[in-house]
Amino acid sequence: MKLDRESAGARWIVRPDGCDKVTGKLNFLTDLSFPGMVYGTILRSPYPHARIKAIRTDAAARLPGVVAVITHRDVPGVNRFGIMYPDQPVLCEDRVRFVGDAVAAVAAESEEAAGEALRLIEVEYEELPVIDSPEAALAPEAPRLHPGGNVLHRTHYERGNVEGAFRRCAVIVEETYETPRQMHAYMETEGGLFVPGPDGKLAVYAPTQHGYMDRMQLARILAMPETDIRVVSSPIGGSFGGKDELNIQPYGALLALCCGRPVKIHQSRWESVRAGLKRHPMKIAMKTGVDADGRLLAHRVRILADTGAYATLGAPVLQFATEHAVGPYRIPHVDVEGWAVYTNNGVSGEFRGFGGNQVVFALEGQMDRLAEALGMDAWEFRRINLRGMDDPGPLGQRVAPTDGARHVWETIRRSSLWERRSGRTTDRRAETRLHQRDVSSGSGHVDVRPDNGGSGPAAASFSSPWVRRGVGAAMVMHGCGLGFGIPDPAGGRIGLSAQGNIQVAFGHEEFGQGLLASLQLMIQDLFACDPGDIEIILGDTDRAPHSGSSTASRTTSMVWQALHRLQPHFSRAVCERASTMSGIPVSHLRLGPGGVWAGPERVVRYREIAEKGTEGLQFETQFHFPVTPDAIMGGHYLYTFAGVVTEVEVNLLTGQVTVLGVEHAVAAGPVVNPMGYLGQIEGGNGMALGFALMEDAVMDGSRYVTTNLDTYLIPTIRDVPERIEVYAIEDLPPNDNYGPRGVGEVGSVGLAPAIAAAVRQATGTWINRLPISREQLMRPISTFLHENAPMVSVPDVGKEEG
Amino acid sequence: MTTTKTVVTLKVNGVERTAEVEPRLLLVHFLRDVLGLTGTHVGCDTSQCGACTVLLDGRGVKSCTVLAVQADGHEVTTVEGLARDGELHPIQEGFWEKHGLQCGFCTPGAMMTAVELLRQNPNPTDEEIREGLEGVICRCTGYENIVRAVKYAAERMRG
Ligand code: FES
Ligand code: FES
Repeated sequence: MKLDRESAGARWIVRPDGCDKVTGKLNFLTDLSFPGMVYGTILRSPYPHARIKAIRTDAAARLPGVVAVITHRDVPGVNRFGIMYPDQPVLCEDRVRFVGDAVAAVAAESEEAAGEALRLIEVEYEELPVIDSPEAALAPEAPRLHPGGNVLHRTHYERGNVEGAFRRCAVIVEETYETPRQMHAYMETEGGLFVPGPDGKLAVYAPTQHGYMDRMQLARILAMPETDIRVVSSPIGGSFGGKDELNIQPYGALLALCCGRPVKIHQSRWESVRAGLKRHPMKIAMKTGVDADGRLLAHRVRILADTGAYATLGAPVLQFATEHAVGPYRIPHVDVEGWAVYTNNGVSGEFRGFGGNQVVFALEGQMDRLAEALGMDAWEFRRINLRGMDDPGPLGQRVAPTDGARHVWETIRRSSLWERRSGRTTDRRAETRLHQRDVSSGSGHVDVRPDNGGSGPAAASFSSPWVRRGVGAAMVMHGCGLGFGIPDPAGGRIGLSAQGNIQVAFGHEEFGQGLLASLQLMIQDLFACDPGDIEIILGDTDRAPHSGSSTASRTTSMVWQALHRLQPHFSRAVCERASTMSGIPVSHLRLGPGGVWAGPERVVRYREIAEKGTEGLQFETQFHFPVTPDAIMGGHYLYTFAGVVTEVEVNLLTGQVTVLGVEHAVAAGPVVNPMGYLGQIEGGNGMALGFALMEDAVMDGSRYVTTNLDTYLIPTIRDVPERIEVYAIEDLPPNDNYGPRGVGEVGSVGLAPAIAAAVRQATGTWINRLPISREQLMRPISTFLHENAPMVSVPDVGKEEG
Repeated sequence: MTTTKTVVTLKVNGVERTAEVEPRLLLVHFLRDVLGLTGTHVGCDTSQCGACTVLLDGRGVKSCTVLAVQADGHEVTTVEGLARDGELHPIQEGFWEKHGLQCGFCTPGAMMTAVELLRQNPNPTDEEIREGLEGVICRCTGYENIVRAVKYAAERMRG
C-alpha cells in the first residue's frame, strides 16, 4: 500500500501535540526556567589525552555571582556513568581521555559569570600520547586507555567452514568499507533544569530516551535513593539515540544539590559537538563468495569500530553490527568478527540504526559487486539468495516467522524507479551519441537540473555529457528490541482518572516520532472511545511506570503489546462498575465514546463512574520484550524489512551527487499511525542522505575539525529528493501476535548503499567510503572533449575499482 | 565586566516592551530570557539553523544575528504572535495539518521563514519554496511535509 493521505483515510490524524508546537506554547525542557534559578556550565578538557596534575578553583569560586564550583571531589557517589559499563568519569580525577571530558562545573547568577568562572579555573595538564584511530589503539605499544586495555568489546560468530567454502566459490569479492562519524545533530542541544526540593529531593527536567535509566544512574552518582529523584524526560527536541545516555544531567544535579538552588544548563552547539555522542565510524572488511549459479556460499566479515574514549553502548552496537552483517540472505558459511576499540576520539554510542547502517552499506555493496561480477541483475541476485519465511535469524537463532524480505523485494522489483535502471542500460548508446554531438557543436551546457517528473527513461532530459544518472537499490533487515542477553523490560499502566479520562501512562518519551498520535489511535481502536476521553502521560518517573527505553524500534510494538494485555482487565472492570450503576448485565455493556454503552445507547458516562471513585480501576503490566529462545548474545526475535531504490544524478565536473527520487518499501506489520510512519521513513531518509553524501564530524589528531553547523553539513530542504514514496507492507504471518513493529530506524539504513549502487551505475565508480567524496567522482574536463571518449565506462580516477 | 546597560523599547507581538539590556545581548536571548518568549529557539552558534527566525518589521531575520539594541524602536513578531484572536495563521495550520513537524524544535523558525517567503512570493513553486527555506535546518522531517505545509498555507492565504 502506498502510504499517503488517501490510502490512510480516517487514520490520518494530526498530531495531538501539534497545536502547542505551532503556537510556541509547548515548552521544551530547555525552555523551562524557575524563580531563583542559576546557570550551570561545564569545563571540558582542551586535550584529547592528558594527565591532570592539579585543579585549582579558588579564583573561580571567589568571582562575584558564582554560587558553586565542583570537581571530582564533590561527587558523593560513584564518579562514573555509562548505560552498559559505567566507565566515563562524571568529573575527571587524574586523566582526561577526549576533548569532551568534564573536569569541573560552575553555577552562577548569570551565564556570563559562569563562563568567566570557567576561565578562572586552573587545570594543570601533562599531555599524553594520543590514540587517534582504532588501528593505533590495537598496536602492541599503544598506551592503555582503560585498565582492561583498549578493546571494549569483541564479537565472533561462525557457522560452517568459510575457508573451505571459499575454495569452492566461482566468484569472490573482497572490499573494505568505511563509514563516517555521523552526528545526531538534534536541533535542541543538551540541557535541562534541575530543581532541589526542600525535602532533599531533586527534580530533573532533562530530555532523555529512558527516564528510569537516568534516574538509576543519577542515584548512583549522587548517592541518593532513586525514589528521591524525579526525572521528567519528555518532550524532546530530537534525539535519534543521542540523548539516551546521560549528558549534562550529572552536572546539573550535582550543582543544584551543591548550591541548593535550581540550576539550568543548555549547551551551545559547539559544546554539543564536543561532548555529544556520534555514530561509530567503522571499517568493515568483507570477503564474500558465490558459486557459479550465483548462490552465496561464504561470507567473512571483520568490523573495526571506533568507540572513542568511553563505553556507553559501544558493545551492544558492535553486537548489532555483527548480527546485521549477515542480513536477509541465506549463507551457509559465515565468519564475522568485530572489535569495538577505545581511542581518544569523541565517544561513539547509540544512533538511529544502531550499527546496522554501517554494515548494511558494506553488505549491500558486496551484493552489488557480486551481481556485477556474475553479470546478473542486482535485484535478481538478491532474490535467489533471500531468506525464506521460516529461516533462522542471521545468527542462526530462532526468530518469529516472517516473509517481510520477500514482500519488500517484490515491491521494489515492481517499482517504476527500479525499471529505470534497466531502461538506462539499453539507452546508454543513444545517450552517448547525443552527448558527443552536444559537445562537438559546443551547445553542451553545464548542470541543468533536469526534469524529474518520474516517467520515461531519464536519458531524454540529459543535457551534458558530464551529467550522468544511475539507479540503485538495497535491502535491509533490522532487529527490533535490544536482543538476547540484554534486559529489555516493558510495561505500562491504564486507569480511569479522577476526571473520568481513560488515562494511560508509559515511561516513554515523545521526541517527535509521534508516539502521542500512535497511542491515541491504538486506544481508540481498543476502546472505541473519543480522542477527548483519552489522557496520556509520558516520560515522568513520578507519574509513569517503568517501560524500558524509547529506543531500538521497540516503542510502538511495546505500547501495543502492553495495551492489548491491559485492555480486557480495564474494559471488564469499567463495565462492572457501569453494570452496578445501571443495573444492566456486564455482558451487554461495552466501552465507547464518552462512556459505557449498551446497544445504541450510552448508559453511564466515564465521568459518572469516576465520581463514584476510581479505586480498582488502575491496571499495570510488566513484561519482557519478545526475545529469541536461543541463547545467542544480541540475537533478535522480531525484524522489520525495507527495500530502498533511488535514482541519482552525478555531475562529473563537480563531483556533486543529487538524489532525484527514492522509493521505500517497508514491512513492519500493521500501520498504526500512517502520518507518523511516513514521517519516520521520510525523516530517516533525510538522515541517511546526509550519511551517504555529506555528514562527517571530522577529527584530526582526536580534535574536532568540524565544530559547528557551519562545517558539519546536514541536508537542507534543497538536498532532499522531490520525489519520495513509501510503500507499507502490513502482512504478518497468521500466527504472529506481536502487532506493529517500530519504524524509527529502518528508514535510515538502506539509502546509503542504494545511492552507492546508483553512483556506480552512473559513473562506473565503486563507492566504498562514506560520505561519498566529490573528489572521487570528479573528472577533468578533458575527459569529455575527445571525439570517441568512452562514455559507458568512464576511466576511474579514484582507484576504487572493486 | 561592567557594562553600561541600555534601555530598549520594542513592540513585540503588538505589545510595547521596555527593558534594560546589555548592549551585546542578542535579540534571541532578549526574547527568550528577558521576555520569556521561549517559542523562538537556538540551534547553533553560527547562524546556520534558522531556529531563531523572527520577523523584524515584518521581514524574516535570524534573531541570533541581531542585537537587542539594533531592534530598539522596531517591531518584532515571534511564533507566539502569529495566531490572531485565537485563529491560527495559515502557516501554522499548514504545519500542523500537513505534518510539517515532528519534534517541533525547528518549527517556529521554519514557519517564520515561510511567512517571509510568502510575503515576497504569495504563489511559490516547489522549487521556490525549497529555495526560500534553505536557511532552516530540520533534522526530523526530511522536509517533504514542510514543502506541503507551505503550499497549503500559500493556497489558504490566496483565498
Ligand atoms: S540559532 Fe541557529 S541560526 Fe540562529
Ligand atoms: S521537527 Fe525536529 S528539527 Fe524539525
